[in-house]
Amino acid sequence: MRGSFRAVAVMASALAIAAACGPASSTPAIRLTSPQGGPAYVEVTGLSSDVLDALRPDRTADEWSAILRVAVSDEAPGMLGSYSVADGALRFTPLYPLDPGREYRVRFDSARLPGAAVPGASAIVATVGEPARDATPSTVVTRVYPTSDIVPENLLRMYVEFSGPMGRPSGIPHMSLLDEDGKEIRGAFLPLDYEFWSPDHTRFTAFFDPGRVKDGILPNQEMGRALTPGKSVTLVISREWRDQYGRPLKEDFKRVLRVGPADEHPLDTASWRIQPPPAVGGRDGLVVIFPEPLDHGLLMRALGVRRGAEAVEGDIAIDQAETRWTFTPREPWRGGSYELLALDILEDVAGNQIGRAFEVDNFDTVDKSPNPKTITIPFTVGSARANH
Amino acid sequence: MSYFRVKLGLVTLVLVATLAPSSALQVTHTGQGPTLSSIGPLAFGPDGTLFTADNQGAAIFALDLGTLANGGAPGAKGLDALDEKLAALLGTGAREISVTDLAVHPQTRNAYVSVMRGQGAGAAPVLFRIDGAAAITNIPLQSLKFQKVELPNAPDAGGGARTNPRTQVVTDMAFADGRLWVAGLSNEEFASKLRAIPYPFASVDRGVSVEIYHGNHRAVETRSPVNAFVPYTLNNQPYLLAGYTCTPLVKFPIGDLKAGAKVRGTTIGEFGAGNRVLDMIVYNKGGQEFLLTANNSRGVMKIPTKNFANAAPITTPVESETGGVPFEKVTSMTGIEQLDKLDDNTSIVIARNSSGGISLKTLPLP
Repeated sequence: MRGSFRAVAVMASALAIAAACGPASSTPAIRLTSPQGGPAYVEVTGLSSDVLDALRPDRTADEWSAILRVAVSDEAPGMLGSYSVADGALRFTPLYPLDPGREYRVRFDSARLPGAAVPGASAIVATVGEPARDATPSTVVTRVYPTSDIVPENLLRMYVEFSGPMGRPSGIPHMSLLDEDGKEIRGAFLPLDYEFWSPDHTRFTAFFDPGRVKDGILPNQEMGRALTPGKSVTLVISREWRDQYGRPLKEDFKRVLRVGPADEHPLDTASWRIQPPPAVGGRDGLVVIFPEPLDHGLLMRALGVRRGAEAVEGDIAIDQAETRWTFTPREPWRGGSYELLALDILEDVAGNQIGRAFEVDNFDTVDKSPNPKTITIPFTVGSARANH
Repeated sequence: MSYFRVKLGLVTLVLVATLAPSSALQVTHTGQGPTLSSIGPLAFGPDGTLFTADNQGAAIFALDLGTLANGGAPGAKGLDALDEKLAALLGTGAREISVTDLAVHPQTRNAYVSVMRGQGAGAAPVLFRIDGAAAITNIPLQSLKFQKVELPNAPDAGGGARTNPRTQVVTDMAFADGRLWVAGLSNEEFASKLRAIPYPFASVDRGVSVEIYHGNHRAVETRSPVNAFVPYTLNNQPYLLAGYTCTPLVKFPIGDLKAGAKVRGTTIGEFGAGNRVLDMIVYNKGGQEFLLTANNSRGVMKIPTKNFANAAPITTPVESETGGVPFEKVTSMTGIEQLDKLDDNTSIVIARNSSGGISLKTLPLP
């Protein structure tokens, strides 16, 4: 095609959607290069060594952009990035990686080159871009805590886990609770202006509105609790919730929960059943069984094991609907006395802590220590029973 | 294997030393080129130091803008389609960025906007300056000198590297009384905490648990998040005025906010259920002083401060929709998500329009 050329991507992985109208000369050409393991860059090749030599680096961003502009559209300003002369070409390296699947408009104006502008040249433009990611939805909800089929009427929070990283926006608009008639229970979850994502964006925390959960306060009196004892609700997580690549979930997630009575009792460690490891020299787990499901997040860190003054290193497993905590030491158990530690911040799924129920406002007790209290429960390895 | 029950009466209750001590933690770092995982909220110190929270990295940074603070036209000018303009500079679409905060430099009065580019854990933090000629300048974070203080780790019982998906969120920050005040909470200990960090950074305290009496909720609350707060002086004493979810206005004397204490604030206003304060500023107009709050569902409220010192504390149930100190709604300001004072007569806001886009606007203080 006379008067035009195609931008050619060097790497097979790079998509070159280029086409341009430009000078009769086929010398200058725009191309996108996507080196393995490095950032993609846009190049103008076919410039003479005199021209490249004259392209001093001390130009302002606007001056560079007048020569070579890479932008999300023809009307948009040039993207942030750096300019250089490398490998016999003028190069633009964007500050942030190009979005896969997005088309970028490139405009090279040889008339803006210093000194020796190509005689008769005019601006050439091209469209470049990286291949789009596979748009096939693949991310799913892998688990929702609590995992028990029965939850108390005053359930405080849910953790939603995904098979892969999710996008930044809050998921609350995509979570709903349906009553037995399939009607949405409005306002069940607490909307916030910030999101509680785990650092890897695979776990999201949703709170039930504490104002509705807490007995006797105005939102609770006006709307009642979102959950009604004796009834079932269906948690629906819409597939419209987007993953980190903007893809919807593979499918809706639905789970039926039966609602039990409110749990307004503080945790009582006396009700825990402890199964000490059976033998010295082994690595069988220490097992602790609770009479009710506890908060999964806090179970991960509010329980531990000590021998003397030293923490015992080990791995934790939580199962049986968060009623069983198993600690497997890295090193074999030694004979003698150990202690199970429980921080009093440990909660059940209704927010009741050790010695303090969520409904109890014990603000008269001023806690001068910011550290949680620790309850120690001794046990002995090599004995069939704990030494209490 | 035999199971057995632990008898509480035989269990020893002790405070153990495996936890971090309650004294301040020395966890500061200095250098050039901060490594932020995320950016925002923002707050300026009086000398132009820009403080930013890194919620993903559970840290606070003090950024020295150096010469990058200079060179722009003084002030800040509004920009329509701010999200599209910033996204274009970042080589992406408006849906792929989120504006996390807005702050005004105390000397140049330029606006600084923090942005996350991209989605997921790999999103990149970005800082822009917008000057009085509406010029947008990217502030390269890697060129800045910084101090960093890490927020105290979550208490844990020890015993090995565990997968800990706990999240801490800083909801607001402000500089007052020589210290940076930081409000925040975590998903696992869902209780409001205020922390004071002396600047230059030397330490960060363990936080003050703050309680309020929430008249509309007819109860003392510890689990209601502080969404926004401003430093304020009452009777020559420094206070923090805090806006909570649902929407009590509470004053805390700074003198009472000691590390490790549990402090109960004085609730002086109730501005309605189903509402959250997004941002707040204090200003003077016509010889009177006002608190201006932007709210998510009840618009902008203008609250005279003259009664704040002597306002009757709300300690009993508020049966009506609102109560306490009087306020008026500012209907001329809509869709406000971020709010700051540009100068004595002007506010600067980030406002969302009905189609979901956002603009930077300068508006007369009402």
